[in-house]
Amino acid sequence: MQSSRNKLSALWQTLFGDPIRAFGVVSLLLLLSLAIAPAKNHFSEWRHYQNQYLTLIRGRGDAVTLRRHFQGGIQQIWLPEIGAVDRCTTCHVGLKEASLVDVSTQPFRRHPAIPHTAEQFGCVMCHRGQGAATTVEEAHSSTLAWEQPILPARYIESSCGQCHRAPLEGTPQLNSGRNLLAQSGCVHCHTIKLPDGSAMKGTDDPPSLLHIADKTTRDWIYAWLKDPQAYAVTAKMPNFKLRDADARDISAFLIANSSPLPGDASPVAAGQKAPDPTAGASLYGESFCASCHAVQNAAGNVVGGNLGPELTRIGTKVKPEWLQAWVRNPRAYDPPTEMPHYRFSDQQIAVLTGFLLNKTDADLLANVHLDPATPEQIAHGKTLVTEYGCASCHQIVGIKKPENFAPELTRIGSKPVTQLVFLPGMAHNLPDYIAAKIRQPRSFGSALKMPQYTFTTAQIDALATALLSLTDRTQNLPAALTVPSVPASDYQPAGKAGQLITDLACFSCHRINGRGGDMAPDLTWEGSSVQRQWLFEFLKNPNTLRPALIRRMPKFNLSDADINVFTDYIMTVYQTPAFDRDSMPSGGYPPAQVEQGKQLFYSKYACQSCHIVDTKMDKGYIGPTLTQVGSRLTAAWMYQWMKNPQALRPGTIEPNRNMSDDDARALTAYLASLKGSGKREAKQ
Amino acid sequence: MAKTIENYFDQMRGTRVWRSVFRGGTGSSTLRRSLAIQQNVFLHLFSTKVRRRMLSFSATWYLGTLTLGTFLILVSTGIFLMLYYHPSVPQAYADTKDLQFVVSSGLFLRNLHRWSAHAMVFLVFAHMFKVFYRGAYRPPREFNWVIGVILLLITLLLSYTGYLLPWDQLAYWAITVGSNIAKAVPVLGNNVHFLMLGGNLVNANALLRFYVLHCMILPLTAIVFIAIHFWRIRKDGGLYSHQSEPKTLAAKAVPAPAGAVAKGAQ
Amino acid sequence: MSDPKDFVAGMGSDFRKNPVRVAFVTRRTSAQVKVTDEDQVQTFPEVLFRALVAIELLTIGLVLISLAFNAPLEGLADPSHTPNPAKAPWYFLGLQEMLHYFPPVVAGVLVPTLVVIALVVIPYFNINIEAEGLFLKDRKRRLRVFYVVVGLFCLFLLYFDVYVALVPTLIVAGFMLLAAQSSPGSSSAFRSYLASKPLSYWIMTWFLFELVVLTAIGTFFRGPGWSWVLPWRS
Repeated sequence: MQSSRNKLSALWQTLFGDPIRAFGVVSLLLLLSLAIAPAKNHFSEWRHYQNQYLTLIRGRGDAVTLRRHFQGGIQQIWLPEIGAVDRCTTCHVGLKEASLVDVSTQPFRRHPAIPHTAEQFGCVMCHRGQGAATTVEEAHSSTLAWEQPILPARYIESSCGQCHRAPLEGTPQLNSGRNLLAQSGCVHCHTIKLPDGSAMKGTDDPPSLLHIADKTTRDWIYAWLKDPQAYAVTAKMPNFKLRDADARDISAFLIANSSPLPGDASPVAAGQKAPDPTAGASLYGESFCASCHAVQNAAGNVVGGNLGPELTRIGTKVKPEWLQAWVRNPRAYDPPTEMPHYRFSDQQIAVLTGFLLNKTDADLLANVHLDPATPEQIAHGKTLVTEYGCASCHQIVGIKKPENFAPELTRIGSKPVTQLVFLPGMAHNLPDYIAAKIRQPRSFGSALKMPQYTFTTAQIDALATALLSLTDRTQNLPAALTVPSVPASDYQPAGKAGQLITDLACFSCHRINGRGGDMAPDLTWEGSSVQRQWLFEFLKNPNTLRPALIRRMPKFNLSDADINVFTDYIMTVYQTPAFDRDSMPSGGYPPAQVEQGKQLFYSKYACQSCHIVDTKMDKGYIGPTLTQVGSRLTAAWMYQWMKNPQALRPGTIEPNRNMSDDDARALTAYLASLKGSGKREAKQ
Repeated sequence: MAKTIENYFDQMRGTRVWRSVFRGGTGSSTLRRSLAIQQNVFLHLFSTKVRRRMLSFSATWYLGTLTLGTFLILVSTGIFLMLYYHPSVPQAYADTKDLQFVVSSGLFLRNLHRWSAHAMVFLVFAHMFKVFYRGAYRPPREFNWVIGVILLLITLLLSYTGYLLPWDQLAYWAITVGSNIAKAVPVLGNNVHFLMLGGNLVNANALLRFYVLHCMILPLTAIVFIAIHFWRIRKDGGLYSHQSEPKTLAAKAVPAPAGAVAKGAQ
Repeated sequence: MSDPKDFVAGMGSDFRKNPVRVAFVTRRTSAQVKVTDEDQVQTFPEVLFRALVAIELLTIGLVLISLAFNAPLEGLADPSHTPNPAKAPWYFLGLQEMLHYFPPVVAGVLVPTLVVIALVVIPYFNINIEAEGLFLKDRKRRLRVFYVVVGLFCLFLLYFDVYVALVPTLIVAGFMLLAAQSSPGSSSAFRSYLASKPLSYWIMTWFLFELVVLTAIGTFFRGPGWSWVLPWRS
């Protein structure tokens, strides 16, 4: 004990006995401590991964090639024009090695094939994260120095949207999210500026409330405000979670504030009763109302299109006289409506409205008991309407559409995490925040105004993807790198035909010169495509071109004079500059050529697998029926079409068979000979 | 073994090369040791002898020495950092990132610089309070105390100007907050603010200005004042010790027999 | 120092060999030996190497800290995104804390200027040099002045709601009162210590206390909008 203490004290004396000795010893310690830093440097993470990679490839058959591709040390992709300094490839060494297909451990997995290379854009532009970092933690996570962590793979399509404004085939989620942004009314309250300076426009058309009292009752408005989805499961209006008193006051204000529609809305004579109870249903079917309107069937499934509102409980909502006036001419009540103006007779109107008004749901209004509105309630209702920004979507008498009602979302995808207020237990990252905000806006505070939507998880992911694509980079990208969207066309045909096109709301389904919907065929070159006689007959009584489709062209009951105007316009104006419609005769081909065409049709090209010519034998339901194609299409169109379908209609699924001129001409001769059985086929 | 090393050093100090550099010569006589101090351009700032009392840790806590130590660390690491740094926007930030991720031991250098800077500010304050509580500002050391206050301000300015250089959010807003205080100066506020930043906002001009201040003007000024500070310690009679003051000694001294001859020593 | 009383004399050397100034001791004066040879050491190597060892130990400490803890670095400076709170470097947080209460011209200009001036003039006031206990002389009058000054100052702090500065002030004032009730001859070492402290000691102590408290509050207890937060409840 004593001796060991002596030894220790002797040691102390030796080392620190006088200042010079102590200086020597401490200097050694200092040098040692200074040597730790380079040592730490030597054992850095990226060196570890590169060594691991070398071990991984050593035993492989292609080791020599892989070893030759491998470059040690810190690697970087430096792209000054987009501000990328990406050192990801320091650890992700096997990104470009196609032969590493079997390696599933990161960071050595190869990158799936994409249209771009890392040398073009680096990694961070799509994946986010901190490109300059050379440690796992700093590169992938959100730190104080870098707020954008790696983007979860399920939102990766948002990165494409930074440059690509036009829809891409490979980004269904992004496309759907963008459509949802435009369709769900988001952009009515939230401004989203696109890089070209324009603001994103809504494609939905929230109804005007200028004349709401003509259309419906205060009770229904109350029930609707309380829960729009109780009236129609597909209702687009979100739930504002209003208190009873607030819904009462808003409904009072809307009714009191509504101005009566000017003009004559004379009701149909009461005596016109439906001749038989099924007439309404069959008129509804014949008019193809279901192409746009849906109805919930007994099983709870919503059947029908989504262009117009769901009609399941329409009878509980509208006033009968309003519905009759609407069916007679929707444009009288709402000029920009997408609903076509059917030329129904009074008899038909009575039948159809009678059928629709029977679609009621007594439960909906069973519990609504509203006393007459007081002036205070109306005044309070007006305050609420202003507070909730109702005028952002709806036209309301005396209330202007508010500017910047909700936060602008132009750069939401780059919003710093420090500026977000997270709920307890939430992951602190931007995608989760956006998704949570869309899923349940009011969970961030009951005083918030944003209403509750009924999006599915897939829709929320799509919306989040679209929003995440709105980054600083989206706004600042060099013009050379942006892929602009096709600008929305405001094409409006002139003259009498133009009025007809508006009146019949052709653009709701058809696209012409870049404007219009995609439910029905593009009519831009319809004049080159069809024969005048067929078009006249078709407009008079549209038959089925494609038996497999449920949504079809409705019958508008046009007068012959209107049809002539229309047909002349289409035949004259909607012609392709690519070829002359009349360059080939519509008939009179030599029978040998017709027979040769038939052979080609059935054997060489096997067209019958998609098209029907002989209704008894052929089973092709993918393309249009060709039984009478000779009287429908011009020979020139058929010839050009077979030569190169995509040139006439980009994106058509008809394959390009690279036919020789002779084959195409023979097939044209055959098809032109298919005039149908004398008259057009019987209506289906 | 210790003896061997000592002999080795003695031999080395006897060589011609060594003697040409250090003129003090070998040996441990008082003369040689005094010469070691007096004949060195840096060390001659200090006195050749120090009261033994002042060696103890409790006397000074070595705070002044340690402050000098942080200053030396800061100068050496700062010079290394300058090799990698461009005072331009936004390259400054990218350089800071590169120090962290690419430069060998770059992060360590920056850490050492940063933490030493904090340590220096802390030690300067501590040194000041220790000097005050020891009463070491008393005459004839008044002016050295004033130099100390100047050095305190230079230290704060050094740290403040260095704070901006990484050009991150922390730096930017700290300097913005700090520089806005200058606006409150009566009458000249905005001019002072403009002069300080080279503009109305913290921007590339401010970065360059702070860089020049941080790397040239302030360190050189600090070195000059540190030299004066040390030199004045010697000139003002060494480190202050209350027990060694004439008055304290006088109070303790015993009266001498009358008529004795006193020898003045001053 | 020019007073002949203060002549410093050294004894024990042969003045015939080393002629030096001589003072005559008259009847009115009494000769005193004022200087003893204090034990001294050579700067080289005793002091120099001790200093070097101290610096090296500090360096080792800082090197280890630098290996373990990374210097903070946040995102690229962005003038359009103000962090909340935007904080100055820690040694200015005392000032920033005061800016929260007082107009900028007071907290940002007046106070720092006064502090620097006060620091500079400390050694030029004889009261600081003599360093006699504050309340040892003229106790009654000084207590009265003390009450008035501290009272007015506390009212001033209360007017601006500066409770964080008020508390340290009151604590220091409490110790000063205790000092006023004590004498250097007190049996309690602490009380005799307090009683012997001069005014400058009290002001400096108060300043140090405020500096530490305000800086600590600014650093740890201030959150978004300069609101009060508790650091352990983040």
